Amino acid sequence: MSATNTAGAIDPSATLAVRARGVRKVFGSGALAYEALRGVDFDVAQGEFMMLVGPSGSGKTTLLSILGCVLTATAGEVSLFGERIDTRKERDLPLIRRALVGFVFQGHNLIASLSAVDNVRLVLEARGTPRRQSRAEAEELLARVGLADKRWNRPGELSGGQRQRVAIARAVAGAPPLVLADEPTAALDAHAGLEATELLLEVCRERGSTVVVVTHDNRIYHLADRIVHIEDGHIIDAPQETP
Amino acid sequence: MNAPDVQARLRAARGGRLTRGFATTILAVRMMLFDKAKFIGTVLGVVFAVVLANQQLGILFGLLQKNTMLVDNAGADLWIVPPNTTSAAPGQRMSTQLLYQAQQTPGIARASALVMAGTSIAKPGGGSEAITLIGVDLETMLGGPWNIVAGDRANLRHVDTLFFEDAQRDKFGGINLWSVREVGGYRVRVGGFTWGLQPFGPPYTFASLDTARTLVGMPTDQLNFVLVTLAPGADRAAVIAALRTAIPTADVISREDFHSLIVRNLLKDQLGVSFGTSTSFGLIIGFIIVALSMFSSVIDNLREFGTLKAIGLTNLDLTRMLMVQSVLYAAIGSLIGLGLVGFMAAGISSANLAVIVPHWLVLLTPCVMTGLCMLASLLALRRVRKLEPGMVFR
Ligand SMILES: Nc1ncnc2c1ncn2[C@@H]1O[C@H](COP(=O)(O)OP(=O)(O)OP(=O)(O)O)[C@@H](O)[C@H]1O
Ligand SMILES: [Mg+2]
Repeated sequence: MSATNTAGAIDPSATLAVRARGVRKVFGSGALAYEALRGVDFDVAQGEFMMLVGPSGSGKTTLLSILGCVLTATAGEVSLFGERIDTRKERDLPLIRRALVGFVFQGHNLIASLSAVDNVRLVLEARGTPRRQSRAEAEELLARVGLADKRWNRPGELSGGQRQRVAIARAVAGAPPLVLADEPTAALDAHAGLEATELLLEVCRERGSTVVVVTHDNRIYHLADRIVHIEDGHIIDAPQETP
Repeated sequence: MNAPDVQARLRAARGGRLTRGFATTILAVRMMLFDKAKFIGTVLGVVFAVVLANQQLGILFGLLQKNTMLVDNAGADLWIVPPNTTSAAPGQRMSTQLLYQAQQTPGIARASALVMAGTSIAKPGGGSEAITLIGVDLETMLGGPWNIVAGDRANLRHVDTLFFEDAQRDKFGGINLWSVREVGGYRVRVGGFTWGLQPFGPPYTFASLDTARTLVGMPTDQLNFVLVTLAPGADRAAVIAALRTAIPTADVISREDFHSLIVRNLLKDQLGVSFGTSTSFGLIIGFIIVALSMFSSVIDNLREFGTLKAIGLTNLDLTRMLMVQSVLYAAIGSLIGLGLVGFMAAGISSANLAVIVPHWLVLLTPCVMTGLCMLASLLALRRVRKLEPGMVFR
């Protein structure tokens, strides 16, 4: 599966999961201004499991944030599934996040006061799943990530790997078409990191979700459908050193 | 790969407001209860404000009541008082002529004289104690003793018999029913006791009109106040107007107006300022405690709030969460605080000082506290609203 699969479509932008053109992001202003993204063109095909890699400070997180509608680009066009998001008003962005995007963070970022089930339920209900369905769905998801017996535990009572599995369940709750993960394995050991990424890949495949994973971790590169390199705010075709 | 129906997903996410509202409400409660120390601290802030404000107001109302109790309990609908009167206390005397003029005014059921004068009771071991002697028309008993704890009102028919304040029995030299004492140089007997009738000045002591006049040396054609009751169905405003025309030399005032006149005069100077200060102090301290602990709770959980934003909760959702917490803090704090106030009021109250927490204050307290907590949450709210959802990737 790759972006070229959709080349024959009448409106190519309608069938791409992510389409970014000339995306620029400037942080700060005046003498302190820093251009983190310098004209990024970036496509992700639907259903693709893609990895975004690059040196520290190259703009990976910035790009992912813009795709996830938690940050707005300074310039450029961004569409998710054919829906322009760069032209949207800031106050529409939460709606787009609820409708289209699931997140896995570097730290698990679970709500400490909620059990695993309630963490997942919260996202389901935010996406519009009625309360009477959300509990069964959340329990099912946790069973899917292998945490059936820990589902009533709070994050504080789970191991790092278990927390990240809850976070994966939460990210795919309500089957968002786009799942974004920023260094999901950074806090885990090699084995747990690989397992977590495999799990993310599987549950997203099952749901048909498109995935972009930002990572430094070359032990998981082999899971990617495609790897995109970014350096100094540019997408580059030929990386300096192959992974 | 089938394209997801983006429009349908947007529609679903846009709807479900009720579900989201409910989910965030529960979340707000869970987050609030999770950090127990902070929860208790915030509740204590509200409790502090409730207790201090209510206690201060309760004492203030108790003090005001000391000054208005005669007007409230005299049983008169209207009072005819000397010009420029601001309290129901001994003062300028008026002619009994006014009484007869009042009695002839249509719309009046009864009008009777009230005599009020300061004098003193001699103690057996020497020395004396000041009293406020009230002479009452025994036919109407308007202005007469109330809260009677011993003795029969009819005892006042004996020319030498007085009703004293029960709480002053020791102070007056250990008086009992039918004890003999001396007031204004005359030998008198104790015919009964009242409880709690202690104004700002010396305690109320009751006698018949004639006895009172004799004891303080007031001529029989003088009085201090005329107390009036309205005939059933009489138009109060019309009667007041008629009395004012008939008696231009005195003021005619309804019981309610006299009550507020006294209260206003007391609040105007020291009482209002000092109790206003202490009540506001309680509210301000409570406000600061609630504001700081809610703010610090948001700071502690900044990452969680960022996560909530990232998963698509709106500023409105988060505002609602903080408001839910504010209302709960106010409700729980008010409940505990009012319980403590009730406890304390019962403990502090004596014949000398009633701590009065009226029903409206009990109802008003949670409302004021809700407002206070909501206001206090604004600092936290500002922080939450300004929070960038992108911070979750940092
Ligand atoms: N809010 C911000 N304000 C100012 N500069 C920022 C901000 N966020 C990011 N930057 C800058 O933008 C550049 C790209 O940052 P970004 O976080 O996207 O890098 P990254 O590729 O994710 O790096 P890492 O691998 O270390 O996470 C960096 O030089 C960073 O200092
Ligand atoms: Mg990064």
